[in-house]
Amino acid sequence: MKLFLNLLKTPSFVFGVTLFLATLGVALVLPWFYDVDTVGRAGTPYLPPSAEHLLGTNHLGVDFVSLLITGLRASLYVGLLAGCIATLLGTFLGVYAGYKGGWIDDLINLVTNLFIVIPYFVVLILISASLEEGRSLQLIAVIIGLTTWPWTTRSVRAQAASLKSRDHIGLAKVNGCGTFQIVTLHILPYLLSYVFMVFIIQIAAGILVEASISMIGLGPYDSISLGVLMDDAMKNEALGDGIWWAFIPSTILITAVVFALYTLNTSMEGVFNPRLRK
Amino acid sequence: MLTNHPTLRYIGSRGIWYLATLIVAIAINFFLPRLGTANPVDVIMGKVASGLSTEAAKEKEEAYLKEFGLVETNNLGEIVRDSESHPIKASLLTQFGSYLWMTLQGDLGTSFLNYPKKVSTIVAEAVPWTLALQFPTIVLGWIIGNLIGALAAYKRGVVDGLFFPLSLLSCSIPFFAFGMLLVYQFAIIWEFFPATGGYANDVMQGFTWEFISSVAYHYTLPFLSIFPVLAGGMAIGMRSMAIYELGTDYIKYSQWLGIKESRIVLYVFRNAMLPQLTGLALSLGMMIGGALITELIFSYPGLGTAMLKAIEGNDYPMIQGCTLLIAITVLIANFTVDVLIGILDPRVKAGQAL
Amino acid sequence: MPIFEVNDLHLHYLTRFGAKIHAVAGVSFSMEQGEILGIAGESGCGKSTLVNGLMGLFIPPLYPTSGDVRVGGESLMGRTPKDIRENVLARKVSMIPQGAINALNPTRKIKHLAMDLIKSHEKGGNKNEIQKRLYDRFNLLGLDAERVLNSFPIELTAGERQRSVIGLTTLLDPEMVIADEPTSALDVTTQKAVIKLIFNLLDKKIFSTMIFITHELPLLRHVAHRIAIMYAGQFVELGTAEQVVFDPRHPYTRALMDAMLSAEPGQAKKETKPLEGAPPNLAHPISGCRFAARCPSAKPDCRINEQSLRIVGERQVRCDYAE
Repeated sequence: MKLFLNLLKTPSFVFGVTLFLATLGVALVLPWFYDVDTVGRAGTPYLPPSAEHLLGTNHLGVDFVSLLITGLRASLYVGLLAGCIATLLGTFLGVYAGYKGGWIDDLINLVTNLFIVIPYFVVLILISASLEEGRSLQLIAVIIGLTTWPWTTRSVRAQAASLKSRDHIGLAKVNGCGTFQIVTLHILPYLLSYVFMVFIIQIAAGILVEASISMIGLGPYDSISLGVLMDDAMKNEALGDGIWWAFIPSTILITAVVFALYTLNTSMEGVFNPRLRK
Repeated sequence: MLTNHPTLRYIGSRGIWYLATLIVAIAINFFLPRLGTANPVDVIMGKVASGLSTEAAKEKEEAYLKEFGLVETNNLGEIVRDSESHPIKASLLTQFGSYLWMTLQGDLGTSFLNYPKKVSTIVAEAVPWTLALQFPTIVLGWIIGNLIGALAAYKRGVVDGLFFPLSLLSCSIPFFAFGMLLVYQFAIIWEFFPATGGYANDVMQGFTWEFISSVAYHYTLPFLSIFPVLAGGMAIGMRSMAIYELGTDYIKYSQWLGIKESRIVLYVFRNAMLPQLTGLALSLGMMIGGALITELIFSYPGLGTAMLKAIEGNDYPMIQGCTLLIAITVLIANFTVDVLIGILDPRVKAGQAL
Repeated sequence: MPIFEVNDLHLHYLTRFGAKIHAVAGVSFSMEQGEILGIAGESGCGKSTLVNGLMGLFIPPLYPTSGDVRVGGESLMGRTPKDIRENVLARKVSMIPQGAINALNPTRKIKHLAMDLIKSHEKGGNKNEIQKRLYDRFNLLGLDAERVLNSFPIELTAGERQRSVIGLTTLLDPEMVIADEPTSALDVTTQKAVIKLIFNLLDKKIFSTMIFITHELPLLRHVAHRIAIMYAGQFVELGTAEQVVFDPRHPYTRALMDAMLSAEPGQAKKETKPLEGAPPNLAHPISGCRFAARCPSAKPDCRINEQSLRIVGERQVRCDYAE
């Protein structure tokens, strides 16, 4: 509670929360007031911004505000889903390895390092390329989550290992608590703020990675994400023709979401980790 | 001898680890694409076969099958057939064996799109461009980013207040998006720099002033689109590492001993740099991935553009060749960094993790 | 003339959220050449803050509030960090820090650390001479100079690291040494060796005056001439070692002695009594006696009246009711 109050006293945290809530508002609240239509042709292709279409139209003549709202929703969805998977899986493996030690730790460590060193980008391309038929937004999020967990495991493992030698863990062990009980009741609670910070970073990573793979043409076939919008702009000569509204608003949205999340993470780090304080 | 030489022993054990990782990487590279579509040749045949006679199509398919090691061959390199003269499918393990063997010989197979051009030939043309773009950018981004981060950590106050949010903002922008903004502003609106290509079309490749200046001219925007994003990320990492180091007991003791400020700054920088080096090694994969995508924005004649074309055309051998090459490059870079850390940091040799 | 004087020193920490923690609140004492003063108290009583504030170099978030520190009659307050660094640290006042195991730069050989120290304080100097000086000094410390000087800290044992730190602290023959818990985190044998080493250096006149901080009160009787007991940022009792250990007058000093197992003759048979409660929060102003809340013999007015040091039985005690 006191930590939370301290957080609210940190300007960068307030800024991050505000910016993130603003982007959430665009994605979730704005559709109530705005007629979102991503199928119908509202005008001629690449219509410049006007009073009627605030951000113009795309190469097919679809209203860009609608596309951006939908794209932002999809990107946030991918980020959240991928972030959840990566955080849950990574935290579980990390805590387990850090607590157990011994050969289990060695094995998990080995696999983690292996997947960190082998560029996950490569794995993503290989999986995505082989799934020609069924590359839905959800599947892409799952793949991203399943390839970015090693980062979580790595950082959580170190934290869990340092907790292991604390007295209360030894007490719990003497009192006959099982591994599951110790991990969930005696280790995880201490790591929650840390895991939450990792989660925030994983959401940002998910959004960035989705944009990257959409950009190389491996994006979802069933959804419009911010990455897909940029890919469309690139493929349809928006850049060469100077159609700035086709890519600048999407760039600003991606950057705003990621910047908000990064700011949240670093401001929380400043409060939770006393060493980074002035 | 190795037992008496901790540095060599360390390098040796890392070397073995990376060799094992390389084999896993090759295996992933081989098996992953085969999880989905059963047979890449079917995919390509779907595109090539239209307009060919049944006989010609069959001949072509068998040529592909043999080319990609999907069928059993005898010593003479002929396809082994069953009684009905259908080619015998090679087992996955045999396929992997021949893939491994070919890869170790530097043969990455044949491109679908540019048949019968070898993947290794196409890749060899593209790699110098990618290396020339990425190596200096990453090294320079790392150095400048670290300097900024250390400065922000040491000075705090206004310097930190200015650089920290800027660095955070710059690493929030995807490489490619930043590239698009740059192209739009500098190439389309102001026409200061060319928008695409590695050099002007009317210039002959060669060691001439004309060619080199053209390359440098085309290099500017791609460089500028990767560099700030990278340096920003590095600065963030360095800042928190340096702040951590500044609070350690040994820095406090050095201050109590009245050791010169310039020396103490050096201590902090050096010791914060070591984990930053590990950080560089770990994020190399991500950086290279991001930078490859940036190539597409500029149609830069490197590996990224080649890979994108391959992805668009379902050119599996080409995709696999590119991904394998990226994986190997990242592994080599990682190994180099590991060796460097082993030499620079006495704690690593002594077996204590950073 | 005293070599070291501290006059009504107040120090505070600044937290990130603007709160001031007044960790040292009015400490005064003076020391003659050749004297050893011990300072003891629970962890968190402000001992370490006090020593960090005795050298004229204030590393944020520690700041001086008021008061004065004088070395050889010269004030250390209000001087620039550069001035302090060049003219005071390592030569006039030098410190053996707490947790010496982590006090050495892990990526620098001891030799190079020592060189950095010498070059920061002395101009010029012949390289061979400096080298010889280093070898002589490290041999004097009972170390294998050749090996230790050419090692990284990680290659040394805890005892060797501790000795190296003492070597570096006293390398420039300081007039006075402040030792902040130099023996904590060491095993008993090493502890004894370290104490012996410090006294060896005193005998050899490498330095003559010392402040020795510890939370182990009994240890001080063998080490210090005078002992100060610290509680919540203030000295509550200051007297000779014999007076404070065998005949404590302040209720806190008594509680501290009662809470300790001791092999002292005449004390071994007593039972230990733990001291209940926790020291007051120094972020807020405190009225009355700082120990009143935990004091077994507190009177109602103790919580109201600010206590000041007064002479009781030939030593200073901060308690209106001490006899």
